Amino acid sequence: MISLSTRHWSFLGLFVVVVVAMLSGFRPDIPVTSETRKLFDYIDSLPSGSVLVVSFDHEASALPEIRPLAQAVVRHAFRKGHRLIGLALMAEGTVIGYRLMEQTAREFDRTYGRDYVYLGFKPQNIATMLSMGESFSQTFPQDYFGAPYDQLDLMKGVNDYRQVAAVISITDGNMPTYWIEYAGARFGVRICSAMTAVMMTQFDPYVSSGQLYSLIGGLRGAAEYERLLAVGGGGARGMLAQSASHIYIIVLVIIGNVLYFRTGRKGRGTV
Amino acid sequence: MNRRLPQLICGLCGVLMFLLFFSNHPLAKAVNQTALDYWQIIAAFALLVGVVGFARIHLKGIRQGSDIPFRVVGLTGMAAMPAVAIIWGIGGDSPFMWLFENVQAPMQSTVFALLAFFVASASFRGFRARSFQASVLLGAALLVLLSRSSLEGFSSSILSDLADWLRNNPSMAARRAILIGIGLGSLTTSLRVLLGIERTWLGGSR
Repeated sequence: MISLSTRHWSFLGLFVVVVVAMLSGFRPDIPVTSETRKLFDYIDSLPSGSVLVVSFDHEASALPEIRPLAQAVVRHAFRKGHRLIGLALMAEGTVIGYRLMEQTAREFDRTYGRDYVYLGFKPQNIATMLSMGESFSQTFPQDYFGAPYDQLDLMKGVNDYRQVAAVISITDGNMPTYWIEYAGARFGVRICSAMTAVMMTQFDPYVSSGQLYSLIGGLRGAAEYERLLAVGGGGARGMLAQSASHIYIIVLVIIGNVLYFRTGRKGRGTV
Repeated sequence: MNRRLPQLICGLCGVLMFLLFFSNHPLAKAVNQTALDYWQIIAAFALLVGVVGFARIHLKGIRQGSDIPFRVVGLTGMAAMPAVAIIWGIGGDSPFMWLFENVQAPMQSTVFALLAFFVASASFRGFRARSFQASVLLGAALLVLLSRSSLEGFSSSILSDLADWLRNNPSMAARRAILIGIGLGSLTTSLRVLLGIERTWLGGSR
């Protein structure tokens, strides 16, 4: 018989809580925050056919949290008839971003080259951001599949950031900082972001100062966006597991503190 | 001379790029674009250095007999992905894509998800109200955690408002100070490099 330590019991408890929560089918009621509504309203207010750059600046590890966010934003843009330029400034985001755009475009019957284009990956994010401010065609002479720039209808009207309504960085790191500093500050393009929840607080000062126009984060942000779109998705599903695990962690913290005080603060470090 | 020359090149390039950043002259734009193109090439070489470094460290580890299975898997994975990409390409139905979507992405997501288990364990074992400051931190953390849960009946708008106030006032003030500190630190370091005072990037201070 394997003897389980406190740590293993807490692992097992989390596993059980998440599985039970997912099986319950319960749908949490998620109020929409002003941060999420701001991005939604902005995309909603743009005239149909506006060009948006969606940059997939993340790695595969963040997919469970990032994918629902990205899907909600791309869905909204396609639904409103906007044209999307996809790219990736982190290598792993390249395929993930293309797959997502392709699948979502199929949902809305959008055509590659006219309604959306995928430029692929470029190393050295700062150099790429600055270079796009000078010329998209020189930065990405070909798209992801090697098609020349002038064969892509959408790109014929896009020379630099001036023809772009906003850059939306979908990220699990600090890439929006560079977008703000090198594309927003230098060329004046509007920067928005969708990111993992853990990164959000780092960007609050940028939102507050207006350097980052809007920010949605984590499964909660995705669930809120899905609610605004009135569609189901990974955000609402994931929020159930996330909420249950948050409550579980709160209970663990309380139990840990009760035991700490009951032992007269002698058992410092471990329980 | 072997130190002076790199310092001189670094200083001149730094000042040039700084000036180009603020210029809209066509010549400046052309020079800027060329410099950015070279930057991309340097990045490719940096990747090569990383690959060689990874291979050397793990081959040395295998020779010394430490963690052999893990090192072999790491090296095989690193060699297999580019090999598969070169042989069959990276198209939608290629083996490379299959490996990426069905092996690499799920494995990375799994490792990331394991963090939740460690957070659960750490919160039970270490998150204690040992002092007044720790109690304030604990209270704030629980409040924010609860507000992000959105379970009906558990998370009211008052909780969300309180959590937002915490994020947008005391927390934001601290983060602004940190960000300004980072900015000033970066500026100082950049100036030290450009002026040749900071020489650690050349392999030492002398």
